[in-house]
Amino acid sequence: MIGKNRRKLITASAVIAAGSMLLAAAPAQAVEQGITTSSIKLGITIPMTGIASPGYSKIPGAMKAYFDYVNANGGVNGRKITLVVKDDQYIPTLAVAKANELIFKDKVFALIGTLGTASTKAISRSLQLSARGIPSLFVNTGYSGFADKKLYPTSFSILPSYQMEAKVIGKYLDENFAGKKVGLIYQDDDFGVDALNGFKQAGVDFAVKIPYASGSQGVAGVAGTWITKLQAAAPDVVVLFGVSSATAAALGNAYAYKYAPKWILGSVGGDATTLTANKVPAAFLAGSKGLSFAPAPSDSTDPYIAMFMDVNEKYNKNAPFDNNIVAGMTSAFLAVQAIKAAGPNLTRKSLIAAIEKSSATFANPALTPLGFSSTSHVGATGYWIGTYDATGSLKPDGGKYTVYTTDSGTGAVVVSTYKRPAMPAKGLPN
Amino acid sequence: MKTTSFKKKLVVLVSSAALITSVTAVLPANAADPSCTTASYVTTCVGATSDSAPYMFIATAAFNGTVLVWSHGLRPNVDIPVGIPGYGGYKVTNTPEPAPGGDKAIITALLGAGYAIAGSGFSRQGVNVQEAVAANVELIGIFKNKYPATKKVVAWGASLGTLITQTLAEKHPELVDAVALVCPATAPTDALISYFGDFMWGFKTFFDPTIKGFGYSAGAAGYAESMGDLVKFFTALGKLQAGLVSGAWPDTSSPLGKALETAKIPSRSALTLVGLMAGVPLRSEHVDGTTGPTGSEQLYPLAIAPAVAVLENAGTVGLAEVLLMADGEAQSGGIVFDNTKTDYAARVDADKDVYTMALSGNSAVSAMLGGLSAAPRVVGSPAAMAKAKSILSVTGTITRPTVLLTTESDQFTVAGAGQWMIDGYADQYAAAREAAVKAYKASKTFTPATNNLVALWAKTGAKYSKFTATGSPDLTAAAGAGTGHCKYTPAQFIAIAKMAANAATNGKFPNGGPITSTARKVGLSYDNKFRAPLFKSLG
Repeated sequence: MIGKNRRKLITASAVIAAGSMLLAAAPAQAVEQGITTSSIKLGITIPMTGIASPGYSKIPGAMKAYFDYVNANGGVNGRKITLVVKDDQYIPTLAVAKANELIFKDKVFALIGTLGTASTKAISRSLQLSARGIPSLFVNTGYSGFADKKLYPTSFSILPSYQMEAKVIGKYLDENFAGKKVGLIYQDDDFGVDALNGFKQAGVDFAVKIPYASGSQGVAGVAGTWITKLQAAAPDVVVLFGVSSATAAALGNAYAYKYAPKWILGSVGGDATTLTANKVPAAFLAGSKGLSFAPAPSDSTDPYIAMFMDVNEKYNKNAPFDNNIVAGMTSAFLAVQAIKAAGPNLTRKSLIAAIEKSSATFANPALTPLGFSSTSHVGATGYWIGTYDATGSLKPDGGKYTVYTTDSGTGAVVVSTYKRPAMPAKGLPN
Repeated sequence: MKTTSFKKKLVVLVSSAALITSVTAVLPANAADPSCTTASYVTTCVGATSDSAPYMFIATAAFNGTVLVWSHGLRPNVDIPVGIPGYGGYKVTNTPEPAPGGDKAIITALLGAGYAIAGSGFSRQGVNVQEAVAANVELIGIFKNKYPATKKVVAWGASLGTLITQTLAEKHPELVDAVALVCPATAPTDALISYFGDFMWGFKTFFDPTIKGFGYSAGAAGYAESMGDLVKFFTALGKLQAGLVSGAWPDTSSPLGKALETAKIPSRSALTLVGLMAGVPLRSEHVDGTTGPTGSEQLYPLAIAPAVAVLENAGTVGLAEVLLMADGEAQSGGIVFDNTKTDYAARVDADKDVYTMALSGNSAVSAMLGGLSAAPRVVGSPAAMAKAKSILSVTGTITRPTVLLTTESDQFTVAGAGQWMIDGYADQYAAAREAAVKAYKASKTFTPATNNLVALWAKTGAKYSKFTATGSPDLTAAAGAGTGHCKYTPAQFIAIAKMAANAATNGKFPNGGPITSTARKVGLSYDNKFRAPLFKSLG
């Protein structure tokens, strides 16, 4: 009798164990927040109001437009993508609060396109994105730390690192302004630290360096002091490594002070929309040098740009097409590729794995290779240099993109031979 | 039906009868046996343990066999002169406290549910962990003697009382069946001392080098020094408040402070830096860090709010530093804080870009840290530091079901203390699970490890700051959730007391669902993946 009971018990235990194994083997998607069999919810926190908003606030609309286009064509693996947008005013502590809402109230599957080094770092640390396994896709910052998978295992940047950018600028200075006096205005935080490291590696020796605390560019009188310091040092060329609102403040004050050096604007600082919103004519950009890793927004011969223009017209109320629209759609385009690559059993883990494993095959507009791998989460890996025209549009010098590529370390800056993947039919993932 | 009526009647009676005696009871001196009175089915007993610590316990006729032994938080061990903010006019007292703050609602609810409550006033105030643990051990014995039907003992406490409670549970697990730690101060001694010491050292080094802060004299001279320090500290704090917008430094500032003022670094940046160095929360009861007054919606949270939060939190931190350091040094025989090897640059590295405008940028941070690196450090006495550890140390080991309730932005017992307990228990639990697997392999009998920790959080809200018509922060508005020291509602205290008591009865906690639901009902969060920053000194 005892033996029989024991056998029964063993049988029951085996059934239970097998059941447990089945449960363990079941796809995790049933409990993964933010996804159903027919939908995926993503979230973005970005400045929609405030000093940094005029250009950046266009990014979510552009993302949504591309997602709507994909949704209208069946979605990704049968799922339609929605995007929840929060306004963080470019205040890191508010960005944390908004990301918190996205994750815990809106229950998004992943974050996408968070903007700014300080905000993105603060979100990652405060909300323990790594410990929770929450993907933070294609963050809009070039802080080199995000390239480090060990530090930020669930975050992926889209921009090349600021260190790479500074090295590319260094090479340009060496080739075009050798022996000339160079000045620098830079954001006095990790954004600027990355740049300083890159310039140091490139051997750039600045005659004058002017740091500014992020946010102080909006304080009356601050930018005026930059210009008087520059005038005193009289550099031939000035590099401005800051956000577009700082560019607006610098160019506006330079005009007022009748100061006209040769300007080189970092990639995040040359946005005509922001200048205009700050009552600085876009024409003030004319002649300045700038950098980009994507095709020029005005280049309608580029198939990606042409497709983005079409999507913008149909799904974004034909908003004025600029670099911010290109940035938003590029991130959305990559996100769709990544979700597609993760397959029908989408989980946060599988999405991260898909980017690490398959990104080399992702179609995307960037003119440089994507650096995503199992060890690096950096996105684009280089820049082309061009000149702003009177409309504030950046165009490649000589009408041709000469793309430089490098790394965030001590590697050389070289001309890229990268051949971009062809755009998939209709701009939809294969 | 009969029982229900009796219970209902009891709850009503308890609320009136028990409380009447709670504060006014006449205490027999050095009596081993309690003096008890019963009125309306409620028995209130008072007495004193062998060290003359007065105690009180209360039970009803429907006592269910579980007693909750409460340990109150810090009461200064010296009188505080009128005029000192926060504690001015305080007289040393050892009135027994059988429930949080003697709160009527809490006492009524717990007695009404059949629990008994007990608490001591302890024989000494200030840093009194050893004395308090001894008093609690005696108190539990006296209670059980009076109520032999006692089946379970729940030890609970708040703030400094959590150190008493946890030490009791660690040293006498046989006396305790469950534990609740409210606004926990349970952390390594060095970390606790460092939090207060780092803040005061940074503060005095910038804003008033005549503040002593450390190395108080013995006796009356030391008392005069510490009270003098409080006056200087709050005076400087007032001047910092006045200079928040202009950036002006107090006229008491050090030569370093004056040099930084000349270099156009505002005093608010130095105050923010000091807060970050020590780990003072940069959100406070009236500063959410994300909201600004009309017209300064962006600039205020970026540039001003962090300093306002430190300012609001600093009163508690500075006051506690002076009182705790003076008492700790007196008991330990020397200086118990040492920052000769502290790397303050590393302390602020992760936060400096988040608060870049408040700190006036990396260059200003470098200038301030450079100045601090050249300033004289505090050299502790190794013997005194060792003694301090012996009178104020917990291991964090959890052997009984334990409820932890931590406020995310608590300026006194910072959230890092709760996190330290959580991290320590994660290791402990992992080891227990591993041991269970090993035991199974050896015996083929699997006894799963039991989870003995439920960590609840009072999380800080995103937006709660209010501003006056002139754009100043409204310090009279309601405090934000998840801020301040130990500001829990009676419902929250009752919920965790019952959670611990149920765990004492069952020997374990229920699964997550009921805990989440209970927590949510009283505005708390049960989030196993939430993580607060550790003490700065713990990295």
